[in-house]
Amino acid sequence: MTAEQAIHSNLAKILVRSQAYLALIILLLLAGLDFFFPTHYRLQAGVHGMSAIGSVVAGTYLTHRAYALIRGVHVNFKSLRYWVLASMLLNFLGAVSGNWIYMRYRGEGGPKEWILANAPAFHNYMMEFKEFVTLFPFPLMAAVSFVLYYYGDAIHTRRDLTQFVGIIILVSWMFLLLGFVTGLVLAKLRFV
Amino acid sequence: MNQPTHNTQSNPVQLYSGPIIAATLSPLLGFYTLMISHHVSRVTKDLDKLVHAFGYWIPGSTGTGPDGSIGSYSGKETLALGVWFLTWLIFHFLWQKQDLPVKRWIPVFLGAIGFVTLCLFHPFIDPILLLLLSSGR
Repeated sequence: MTAEQAIHSNLAKILVRSQAYLALIILLLLAGLDFFFPTHYRLQAGVHGMSAIGSVVAGTYLTHRAYALIRGVHVNFKSLRYWVLASMLLNFLGAVSGNWIYMRYRGEGGPKEWILANAPAFHNYMMEFKEFVTLFPFPLMAAVSFVLYYYGDAIHTRRDLTQFVGIIILVSWMFLLLGFVTGLVLAKLRFV
Repeated sequence: MNQPTHNTQSNPVQLYSGPIIAATLSPLLGFYTLMISHHVSRVTKDLDKLVHAFGYWIPGSTGTGPDGSIGSYSGKETLALGVWFLTWLIFHFLWQKQDLPVKRWIPVFLGAIGFVTLCLFHPFIDPILLLLLSSGR
Protein backbone atom coordinates (compact mmCIF):
# COMPACT_ATOMS: atom_id res chain seq x y z
CA MET A 1 0.00 0.00 0.00
CA THR A 2 1.40 3.42 -0.90
CA ALA A 3 1.44 6.26 1.61
CA GLU A 4 -1.35 7.99 -0.31
CA GLN A 5 -3.55 4.89 -0.30
CA ALA A 6 -2.98 4.46 3.44
CA ILE A 7 -4.08 8.03 4.13
CA HIS A 8 -7.20 7.52 2.02
CA SER A 9 -8.25 4.28 3.67
CA ASN A 10 -7.55 5.82 7.08
CA LEU A 11 -9.69 8.80 6.17
CA ALA A 12 -12.56 6.54 5.18
CA LYS A 13 -12.26 4.67 8.46
CA ILE A 14 -12.32 7.91 10.46
CA LEU A 15 -15.30 9.19 8.50
CA VAL A 16 -17.25 5.96 8.85
CA ARG A 17 -16.72 5.88 12.58
CA SER A 18 -17.51 9.58 12.99
CA GLN A 19 -20.68 9.17 10.98
CA ALA A 20 -21.77 6.18 13.07
CA TYR A 21 -21.12 7.92 16.40
CA LEU A 22 -22.71 11.18 15.28
CA ALA A 23 -25.76 9.35 13.96
CA LEU A 24 -26.13 7.51 17.25
CA ILE A 25 -25.82 10.67 19.34
CA ILE A 26 -28.26 12.64 17.19
CA LEU A 27 -30.73 9.75 17.10
CA LEU A 28 -30.51 9.36 20.88
CA LEU A 29 -31.47 13.03 21.24
CA LEU A 30 -34.87 12.04 19.87
CA ALA A 31 -35.59 10.59 23.31
CA GLY A 32 -32.72 12.11 25.29
CA LEU A 33 -34.37 15.52 25.14
CA ASP A 34 -37.36 14.01 26.95
CA PHE A 35 -35.32 14.54 30.11
CA PHE A 36 -35.98 18.26 29.70
CA PHE A 37 -39.70 18.03 28.91
CA PRO A 38 -42.11 19.80 31.26
CA THR A 39 -43.59 16.66 32.85
CA HIS A 40 -43.15 14.75 36.12
CA TYR A 41 -42.48 11.62 34.07
CA ARG A 42 -39.50 12.88 32.08
CA LEU A 43 -37.15 10.33 33.64
CA GLN A 44 -39.34 7.37 32.63
CA ALA A 45 -39.82 8.82 29.16
CA GLY A 46 -36.11 9.51 28.61
CA VAL A 47 -34.92 6.14 29.87
CA HIS A 48 -37.52 4.21 27.91
CA GLY A 49 -36.97 6.21 24.73
CA MET A 50 -33.20 5.91 24.86
CA SER A 51 -33.23 2.20 25.59
CA ALA A 52 -35.72 1.72 22.76
CA ILE A 53 -33.48 3.60 20.32
CA GLY A 54 -30.44 1.72 21.59
CA SER A 55 -32.28 -1.58 21.09
CA VAL A 56 -33.30 -0.67 17.54
CA VAL A 57 -29.77 0.46 16.63
CA ALA A 58 -28.12 -2.67 18.07
CA GLY A 59 -30.86 -4.87 16.58
CA THR A 60 -30.48 -3.28 13.14
CA TYR A 61 -26.70 -3.67 13.21
CA LEU A 62 -27.19 -7.32 14.17
CA THR A 63 -29.38 -7.93 11.11
CA HIS A 64 -26.25 -7.29 9.02
CA ARG A 65 -24.44 -9.92 11.05
CA ALA A 66 -27.48 -12.20 10.64
CA TYR A 67 -27.07 -12.25 6.86
CA ALA A 68 -23.49 -13.46 7.25
CA LEU A 69 -24.82 -16.30 9.42
CA ILE A 70 -27.54 -17.11 6.89
CA ARG A 71 -25.14 -17.04 3.93
CA GLY A 72 -22.61 -19.13 5.80
CA VAL A 73 -19.65 -16.80 5.28
CA HIS A 74 -16.92 -16.27 7.86
CA VAL A 75 -18.26 -14.88 11.14
CA ASN A 76 -16.31 -13.50 14.09
CA PHE A 77 -18.29 -15.34 16.77
CA LYS A 78 -16.48 -13.71 19.66
CA SER A 79 -17.62 -10.25 18.62
CA LEU A 80 -21.07 -11.56 17.68
CA ARG A 81 -21.51 -13.02 21.18
CA TYR A 82 -20.75 -9.63 22.75
CA TRP A 83 -23.17 -7.88 20.40
CA VAL A 84 -26.07 -10.25 21.01
CA LEU A 85 -25.49 -10.03 24.75
CA ALA A 86 -25.49 -6.23 24.63
CA SER A 87 -28.59 -6.30 22.45
CA MET A 88 -30.35 -8.64 24.88
CA LEU A 89 -29.53 -6.35 27.81
CA LEU A 90 -30.81 -3.31 25.91
CA ASN A 91 -34.02 -5.18 25.08
CA PHE A 92 -34.40 -6.06 28.75
CA LEU A 93 -33.90 -2.43 29.77
CA GLY A 94 -36.45 -1.40 27.12
CA ALA A 95 -39.01 -3.84 28.52
CA VAL A 96 -38.44 -2.86 32.16
CA SER A 97 -38.54 0.88 31.41
CA GLY A 98 -41.59 0.20 29.23
CA ASN A 99 -43.34 -1.26 32.29
CA TRP A 100 -42.28 1.80 34.25
CA ILE A 101 -43.71 4.32 31.79
CA TYR A 102 -46.80 2.17 31.18
CA MET A 103 -47.84 2.93 34.78
CA ARG A 104 -48.16 6.62 33.99
CA TYR A 105 -49.74 5.83 30.62
CA ARG A 106 -52.57 4.14 32.51
CA GLY A 107 -52.61 6.65 35.39
CA GLU A 108 -55.20 9.33 36.17
CA GLY A 109 -55.07 12.03 33.50
CA GLY A 110 -52.54 9.95 31.59
CA PRO A 111 -52.32 9.28 27.85
CA LYS A 112 -54.67 6.27 27.98
CA GLU A 113 -57.54 8.39 29.32
CA TRP A 114 -56.98 11.05 26.70
CA ILE A 115 -56.58 8.61 23.82
CA LEU A 116 -59.70 6.64 24.79
CA ALA A 117 -61.67 9.89 24.83
CA ASN A 118 -60.29 11.28 21.57
CA ALA A 119 -58.86 8.53 19.36
CA PRO A 120 -59.79 5.19 21.01
CA ALA A 121 -58.49 3.00 18.17
CA PHE A 122 -54.93 4.02 19.03
CA HIS A 123 -55.33 2.48 22.47
CA ASN A 124 -57.63 -0.43 21.66
CA TYR A 125 -55.79 -1.63 18.59
CA MET A 126 -52.31 -0.13 18.71
CA MET A 127 -51.33 0.02 22.39
CA GLU A 128 -53.00 -3.29 23.23
CA PHE A 129 -50.88 -4.82 20.48
CA LYS A 130 -47.66 -2.93 21.13
CA GLU A 131 -47.49 -3.67 24.86
CA PHE A 132 -47.22 -7.40 24.11
CA VAL A 133 -45.14 -7.67 20.95
CA THR A 134 -42.47 -5.38 22.41
CA LEU A 135 -41.90 -8.08 25.02
CA PHE A 136 -40.83 -10.52 22.28
CA PRO A 137 -37.29 -9.28 21.45
CA PHE A 138 -35.83 -9.89 24.91
CA PRO A 139 -36.60 -13.63 25.11
CA LEU A 140 -35.66 -14.06 21.44
CA MET A 141 -32.27 -12.43 21.97
CA ALA A 142 -31.87 -14.37 25.21
CA ALA A 143 -32.29 -17.53 23.12
CA VAL A 144 -29.72 -16.29 20.59
CA SER A 145 -27.24 -15.33 23.33
CA PHE A 146 -27.69 -18.66 25.04
CA VAL A 147 -27.23 -20.60 21.80
CA LEU A 148 -24.07 -18.70 20.79
CA TYR A 149 -22.47 -19.19 24.22
CA TYR A 150 -23.65 -22.77 24.59
CA TYR A 151 -22.41 -24.07 21.24
CA GLY A 152 -19.42 -21.73 21.04
CA ASP A 153 -17.45 -21.38 17.81
CA ALA A 154 -18.29 -25.01 16.95
CA ILE A 155 -21.69 -23.78 15.80
CA HIS A 156 -20.14 -22.86 12.43
CA THR A 157 -20.02 -26.58 11.60
CA ARG A 158 -23.83 -26.70 11.56
CA ARG A 159 -25.32 -24.49 8.83
CA ASP A 160 -28.87 -25.26 9.98
CA LEU A 161 -28.08 -23.87 13.44
CA THR A 162 -26.35 -20.71 12.21
CA GLN A 163 -29.15 -20.06 9.71
CA PHE A 164 -31.75 -20.42 12.43
CA VAL A 165 -29.82 -18.01 14.68
CA GLY A 166 -29.75 -15.49 11.80
CA ILE A 167 -33.50 -15.87 11.30
CA ILE A 168 -34.25 -15.32 15.01
CA ILE A 169 -32.18 -12.11 14.93
CA LEU A 170 -34.25 -10.90 11.95
CA VAL A 171 -37.54 -11.80 13.66
CA SER A 172 -36.48 -10.00 16.84
CA TRP A 173 -35.57 -6.90 14.81
CA MET A 174 -39.03 -6.89 13.21
CA PHE A 175 -40.67 -6.66 16.65
CA LEU A 176 -38.21 -3.99 17.77
CA LEU A 177 -39.15 -1.86 14.80
CA LEU A 178 -42.88 -2.44 15.35
CA GLY A 179 -42.50 -1.43 18.99
CA PHE A 180 -40.39 1.61 18.16
CA VAL A 181 -42.79 3.03 15.57
CA THR A 182 -45.95 2.37 17.59
CA GLY A 183 -44.27 3.82 20.67
CA LEU A 184 -43.34 6.98 18.80
CA VAL A 185 -46.84 7.32 17.35
CA LEU A 186 -48.43 6.99 20.80
CA ALA A 187 -45.97 9.46 22.33
CA LYS A 188 -46.71 11.94 19.53
CA LEU A 189 -50.42 11.50 20.06
CA ARG A 190 -50.28 12.15 23.80
CA PHE A 191 -47.10 12.44 25.80
CA VAL A 192 -46.86 11.28 29.42
CA MET B 1 -19.42 -37.80 26.29
CA ASN B 2 -20.00 -35.58 23.34
CA GLN B 3 -20.28 -32.26 25.07
CA PRO B 4 -20.30 -29.19 22.81
CA THR B 5 -17.33 -27.02 23.60
CA HIS B 6 -16.12 -23.55 22.74
CA ASN B 7 -12.95 -24.95 21.31
CA THR B 8 -13.35 -26.17 17.79
CA GLN B 9 -10.02 -25.75 16.14
CA SER B 10 -9.32 -29.16 14.71
CA ASN B 11 -11.36 -31.79 16.50
CA PRO B 12 -14.91 -31.85 15.17
CA VAL B 13 -17.46 -31.92 17.94
CA GLN B 14 -20.84 -33.54 17.79
CA LEU B 15 -23.46 -30.81 18.22
CA TYR B 16 -27.03 -31.57 19.18
CA SER B 17 -29.84 -29.35 18.00
CA GLY B 18 -32.07 -30.15 21.01
CA PRO B 19 -30.89 -27.14 23.06
CA ILE B 20 -31.60 -24.60 20.26
CA ILE B 21 -35.11 -26.06 19.80
CA ALA B 22 -35.69 -25.87 23.58
CA ALA B 23 -34.38 -22.28 23.68
CA THR B 24 -36.77 -21.21 20.88
CA LEU B 25 -39.85 -23.29 21.73
CA SER B 26 -39.94 -22.00 25.32
CA PRO B 27 -40.23 -18.27 24.51
CA LEU B 28 -42.90 -19.16 21.98
CA LEU B 29 -44.88 -20.88 24.73
CA GLY B 30 -44.32 -17.77 26.85
CA PHE B 31 -45.75 -15.58 24.05
CA TYR B 32 -48.82 -17.83 23.77
CA THR B 33 -49.25 -17.61 27.55
CA LEU B 34 -49.12 -13.82 27.25
CA MET B 35 -51.75 -13.85 24.51
CA ILE B 36 -54.11 -16.34 26.18
CA SER B 37 -53.89 -14.71 29.63
CA HIS B 38 -54.55 -11.32 27.99
CA HIS B 39 -57.75 -12.50 26.33
CA VAL B 40 -58.85 -14.42 29.44
CA SER B 41 -58.46 -11.22 31.48
CA ARG B 42 -60.75 -9.40 29.06
CA VAL B 43 -63.70 -11.75 29.55
CA THR B 44 -64.83 -10.71 33.05
CA LYS B 45 -63.61 -8.51 35.91
CA ASP B 46 -63.12 -11.58 38.12
CA LEU B 47 -60.88 -13.24 35.55
CA ASP B 48 -58.92 -10.00 35.26
CA LYS B 49 -58.40 -10.04 39.05
CA LEU B 50 -57.31 -13.66 38.90
CA VAL B 51 -54.65 -12.91 36.26
CA HIS B 52 -53.65 -9.72 38.08
CA ALA B 53 -52.99 -11.65 41.33
CA PHE B 54 -50.00 -13.41 39.75
CA GLY B 55 -48.29 -10.08 39.21
CA TYR B 56 -48.59 -8.46 42.63
CA TRP B 57 -44.86 -9.01 43.22
CA ILE B 58 -43.98 -6.51 40.46
CA PRO B 59 -43.51 -2.96 41.80
CA GLY B 60 -46.22 -0.72 40.36
CA SER B 61 -48.61 -3.58 39.66
CA THR B 62 -51.28 -1.97 41.81
CA GLY B 63 -52.14 1.61 42.55
CA THR B 64 -54.22 4.53 41.33
CA GLY B 65 -53.81 8.25 40.83
CA PRO B 66 -51.63 10.04 38.28
CA ASP B 67 -48.72 7.60 38.78
CA GLY B 68 -51.00 4.72 37.83
CA SER B 69 -50.09 1.04 37.74
CA ILE B 70 -49.63 -1.65 35.14
CA GLY B 71 -52.61 -3.62 36.46
CA SER B 72 -53.20 -7.15 35.23
CA TYR B 73 -50.41 -6.73 32.65
CA SER B 74 -48.13 -7.68 35.57
CA GLY B 75 -49.92 -11.03 35.95
CA LYS B 76 -49.71 -11.76 32.22
CA GLU B 77 -45.97 -11.04 32.27
CA THR B 78 -45.46 -13.23 35.34
CA LEU B 79 -47.31 -16.17 33.81
CA ALA B 80 -45.39 -15.78 30.54
CA LEU B 81 -42.03 -15.58 32.36
CA GLY B 82 -42.93 -18.66 34.42
CA VAL B 83 -43.90 -20.71 31.37
CA TRP B 84 -40.82 -19.52 29.45
CA PHE B 85 -38.29 -20.44 32.15
CA LEU B 86 -39.97 -23.65 33.26
CA THR B 87 -40.43 -25.10 29.78
CA TRP B 88 -36.91 -24.01 28.78
CA LEU B 89 -35.45 -25.87 31.74
CA ILE B 90 -37.52 -28.99 31.11
CA PHE B 91 -36.98 -29.17 27.34
CA HIS B 92 -33.30 -28.30 27.61
CA PHE B 93 -32.59 -31.23 29.91
CA LEU B 94 -34.85 -33.55 27.94
CA TRP B 95 -33.30 -32.72 24.57
CA GLN B 96 -29.72 -31.92 25.59
CA LYS B 97 -28.40 -34.99 23.77
CA GLN B 98 -30.95 -35.17 20.97
CA ASP B 99 -30.61 -34.04 17.41
CA LEU B 100 -34.01 -32.73 16.37
CA PRO B 101 -34.82 -31.56 12.82
CA VAL B 102 -34.03 -27.82 12.78
CA LYS B 103 -35.00 -27.38 9.11
CA ARG B 104 -38.48 -28.64 9.91
CA TRP B 105 -38.73 -26.58 13.11
CA ILE B 106 -37.89 -23.22 11.46
CA PRO B 107 -41.16 -22.90 9.44
CA VAL B 108 -43.21 -24.09 12.43
CA PHE B 109 -41.47 -21.52 14.65
CA LEU B 110 -42.07 -18.72 12.13
CA GLY B 111 -45.70 -19.71 11.57
CA ALA B 112 -46.34 -19.92 15.30
CA ILE B 113 -44.78 -16.54 16.02
CA GLY B 114 -46.72 -14.98 13.14
CA PHE B 115 -49.96 -16.48 14.43
CA VAL B 116 -49.48 -15.35 18.04
CA THR B 117 -48.72 -11.85 16.73
CA LEU B 118 -51.97 -11.84 14.76
CA CYS B 119 -53.87 -13.09 17.82
CA LEU B 120 -52.64 -10.05 19.74
CA PHE B 121 -54.14 -7.73 17.13
CA HIS B 122 -57.69 -7.05 18.31
CA PRO B 123 -59.32 -6.36 14.91
CA PHE B 124 -58.24 -9.88 13.86
CA ILE B 125 -58.91 -11.86 17.02
CA ASP B 126 -61.96 -10.12 18.53
CA PRO B 127 -64.52 -11.39 16.01
CA ILE B 128 -63.19 -14.93 16.59
CA LEU B 129 -63.26 -14.53 20.38
CA LEU B 130 -66.81 -13.15 20.28
CA LEU B 131 -67.90 -16.10 18.19
CA LEU B 132 -66.25 -18.53 20.62
CA LEU B 133 -67.78 -16.82 23.65
CA SER B 134 -71.28 -16.67 22.16
CA SER B 135 -71.19 -20.34 21.12
CA GLY B 136 -70.03 -21.30 24.63
CA ARG B 137 -73.15 -19.84 26.24
